[in-house]
Order: sequence, then C-alpha cells, then structure tokens
Amino acid sequence: MNVISASSITGSALDAEKMRVDIVSQNIANAHTTKGIDGKPYQRRIVAFESLLDAAAGPNMQGVRVSEIKRDETPGEIVNNPQHPHADDDGNVTMPNVNIPFEMVDMVTATRAYEANLAVVRNARQMATQALSIGR
Amino acid sequence: MEMVASLFNSDNYTAVKKMMDVSAIRHAAIASNLANVSTPGYKRVDLSKSFEDELRASIKSRDADEIAEAAPRTEIDALTPSTRADGNNVQIDSELLGLTQNTMNFNVLTDFASGSLKQLRHAIVGRPV
Repeated sequence: MNVISASSITGSALDAEKMRVDIVSQNIANAHTTKGIDGKPYQRRIVAFESLLDAAAGPNMQGVRVSEIKRDETPGEIVNNPQHPHADDDGNVTMPNVNIPFEMVDMVTATRAYEANLAVVRNARQMATQALSIGR
Repeated sequence: MEMVASLFNSDNYTAVKKMMDVSAIRHAAIASNLANVSTPGYKRVDLSKSFEDELRASIKSRDADEIAEAAPRTEIDALTPSTRADGNNVQIDSELLGLTQNTMNFNVLTDFASGSLKQLRHAIVGRPV
C-alpha cells in the first residue's frame, strides 16, 4: 500500500503532460524549419494518450501514458520566395505545417492538466500527513 | 478492558475508519480522472452508487459489524454525458472541487479519530492530554 495513495497514477499523468509540453516546444521551435533531418520540411508532431489500468491503485483506476507520437501529414503552406536557400526551381518553399496559435492552445491545455495533477499530489500529501498524526 | 474494546468497536469509530477508507479510494478515483483528462474516450471512475447506498444504510443501522462489512468499490461512470468531441466525460473543475472536498472530509475524519483516541488517553491518564 502506498502512503500517498494513487501516486503512481498521478506520476504517470505528470510524465505524459510533460511529454506533451515537450512536443509542443519542439513544434514551435521548428515552426520555420524547411529542411529537417530527413531533408523535408518539418512536420508537426502530435501526442496521443491512452489510459492503462493501474492495478496497484485499485480496480478501475487508470493511469495514462503517451501511446504514440505521430507526424501530422497535412501539407505545409507553399510560399514563393526565390531567395530562400531551400526554394525549388520555381522559387517555391514548402513551410512546416506548424500552426503557432494551435500549439499555444495545446500548451495551455497541457499546463492546466499538469497543474490539476499537481493539486492531486498536494492533497494526497496533506491526507497522508493528517493520517500520520492521528492520535496526536 | 471492556471500555477500551467498546471504544474501538463502537459504531462511530468503525464508521470513521470506514469513511477514511472511502476517502482514500475516492481520492484514487479523482487522481485517475484527472490523470486521464486528455485521454480520448476515457470515462470517469467514481465510487459505486450501490456501495454508497449500502454504506448509508449500514451507518443508519448503527451496527458496527454491518458498517465494517460494507466493502468500498468503484465503478465506471458512463452515464455522465460527455461535452467533448473525443467522448471523454471528465470535467476538470468539478473533479478539482471533489478533490478539495474529499481532502477536507478526510481532515474532519482524522480529527474525529484523534478525538476518540484522546478521550481514551484522558481516561487512562486521568487528566486532559
């Protein structure tokens, strides 16, 4: 039994949300990368979550994990910019399909979810402290 | 000895112990819900309604054995409608409210348990402690 109940669940959620923020920062950092390591414009990454049963925390209790980090295959915007080093013969450059406002929304959502899970840990700790002081 | 045994087996004390178990399980359920706030298709976990009825009835009966027998269990709540496109029915604010409420409940219960034990110590020592 855990003194701090369900800490494994909350831990998994903190990991997953952190991963989501990491991916958002990677997407924003590469918002103008027209040549990635594969030679193509950067494609934004999408994090997919899945829940998994956490038997240690009890029946029906579910932790969360990142099941997959997918590439968004939506074609990026094509800009005519003949001066660009990565422009093709017609002077067109394919930009990454990163949409900054979209990434910002994702980041705020992930941060809020992270904060909610931190509140769970805080409450769990308070409950554990209270339980340990029974009789005092 | 009679007095000590009767304190530890009293209906109130047993109910407090049971309610603390319930609080811990509810906390785990809320932790699970908040962990999965971004998981598509996740349905929230809550204390089983049948258990809540059982517990209420057993506390009403004021029978310590009956209270001790009620086994806390959870169920998947698929009834709460989802307001999101991904089918997830967790509402972050109501879960956080439930979290705070649950912790407060737990604090009251620990105070009550401490009170029972302090009373016993008072009786043993013969002066307030």
